[in-house]
Amino acid sequence: MSATDSLAGSLNLQTGLRRKRQLRLALIWGLFILFTAWCVNGTIIEDTDWSRIGGRSGVLASFGRYIQLDLGLVSELILPTIETFMMACVGTVLGCFFSLPVAWLGAANVTPSRHILYPVGRFLMVLSRSVHEIVWALIFVSAVGLGALPGILAIAMRSVGFISKITAEAIENIDAKPVEAIRAVGGNQFQVMYYGILPQIYPVVLATVIFEWDINIRRSAVMGLVGAGGLGLLFFRQMNSFNYGGVTMVILAILLLIVLGEVISHYLRKAVI
Amino acid sequence: MAVLSVRNLKVRYSGKGPEILKGIDFDVEGDDFLAIIGPSGAGKSTLIRCVNRLVEPTDGTITLLDQDVRALKPRALRELRRDVGMIFQEFNLINRMSVMDNVLSGRLGYTGNLRSLFRHFTKDDIRQALDFLERVGLSDHVDKRADELSGGQRQRVGIARALMQQPKLLLLDEPTSALDPKISQEVMALIREIAKELRVPALCNIHDVQLAKEFCNRIIGLQDGIKKFDGETRTLRDADLEDIYAMEVL
Repeated sequence: MSATDSLAGSLNLQTGLRRKRQLRLALIWGLFILFTAWCVNGTIIEDTDWSRIGGRSGVLASFGRYIQLDLGLVSELILPTIETFMMACVGTVLGCFFSLPVAWLGAANVTPSRHILYPVGRFLMVLSRSVHEIVWALIFVSAVGLGALPGILAIAMRSVGFISKITAEAIENIDAKPVEAIRAVGGNQFQVMYYGILPQIYPVVLATVIFEWDINIRRSAVMGLVGAGGLGLLFFRQMNSFNYGGVTMVILAILLLIVLGEVISHYLRKAVI
Repeated sequence: MAVLSVRNLKVRYSGKGPEILKGIDFDVEGDDFLAIIGPSGAGKSTLIRCVNRLVEPTDGTITLLDQDVRALKPRALRELRRDVGMIFQEFNLINRMSVMDNVLSGRLGYTGNLRSLFRHFTKDDIRQALDFLERVGLSDHVDKRADELSGGQRQRVGIARALMQQPKLLLLDEPTSALDPKISQEVMALIREIAKELRVPALCNIHDVQLAKEFCNRIIGLQDGIKKFDGETRTLRDADLEDIYAMEVL
């Protein structure tokens, strides 16, 4: 066997391997394109009422209607904007309160019962997140009627999942040493949590709450679509009365609010970390 | 009358796990500075944690300050723990709290929930904490966060926290193994000095035999959950040490 022979051998092996990989890649791409085409056919091509779109100019004209801003709406926007902001704040605070017991149940190392209450805590986390905020709002509108209250409750319920999950994980990852020290000085259960656990988790929890609050501003902006207060309600009314310029105004207000939330949470997060 | 007396102490962490302590007997008298030496894995940390039931013994009796430790209900156990100051290998401080708050946390056993919620300790506690911080040489660091200090300083905070309890017994779990040799000497000297001053006996896990010989009046040698030596420091011979560390593979 010479050196050139073994080189030729590994060259063959390499080209064979590469050919195989290329084939596999081509197959994956082919399947992806087929799948996308199937989806497009089912949703867009067969499901669209093409006759109603009525040509390029028609589409542009429809968009154009949104550009003629209805500036007369400004005075009507102020209160719902503030209400939306307040709903997000109160909903987040309430969500934090609900999250505390859920996180306590659902953190493996502090849960009062590993076999019964721990799964309950975990289930509540999943439940909160798997039900959309609009669905929560519908439930609460039917329970407590129209207005900001069902919106606040919906936001609180929807916030529990994320906040409690992150909190529970933070609790599970704490350093046990300070906990041991507080037990050793004769501290009770509350003191162990407050001195041993809380100082370790609060930066993570606060950052999460700020993030959730930021998201909740978006959520509270659409609550009104189902009658749960805030800017969404105004949006719904403009849409129903075909006042497209008004719709744009509401959207701009929402945008403004979200940018504001973004800026505030940026600075809050900096202050916490 | 011994401050602490341990008889036939056995510990097993789980039902079928290995026995960590296999029947240990010893006493701690009023002026003892007792070292527990032995190779790692011998059960030193487990033994010391049985005294205030941070670890639950499986068998035997522990009598501490005339109380049967194993029989205590949770509230009585917490009250007993208040009398036992503990100093840890890795200091076990609350990193995000100030030195002062860490020291004050030594009083939690005497502080109600509402007061603890607002970290509202009594004026006496605060005065006491300042005194102890001066005693351990940390007067200039009172308001710093605990994680800003060096290892030696952190252990001094740990010492001050234990002193806040006005302990009747000190448990020291490898107080120097996270420290360099010079600082270790200083810390051990400080602890012994304070223990003497306050007339508090101490039970000290330590793997450094030289430090044990230098600072402790009595030594217990532990090997694989069995007591191999128990006597005054001056009676410890090299042969005893070889016996204690016989199983350690270097």
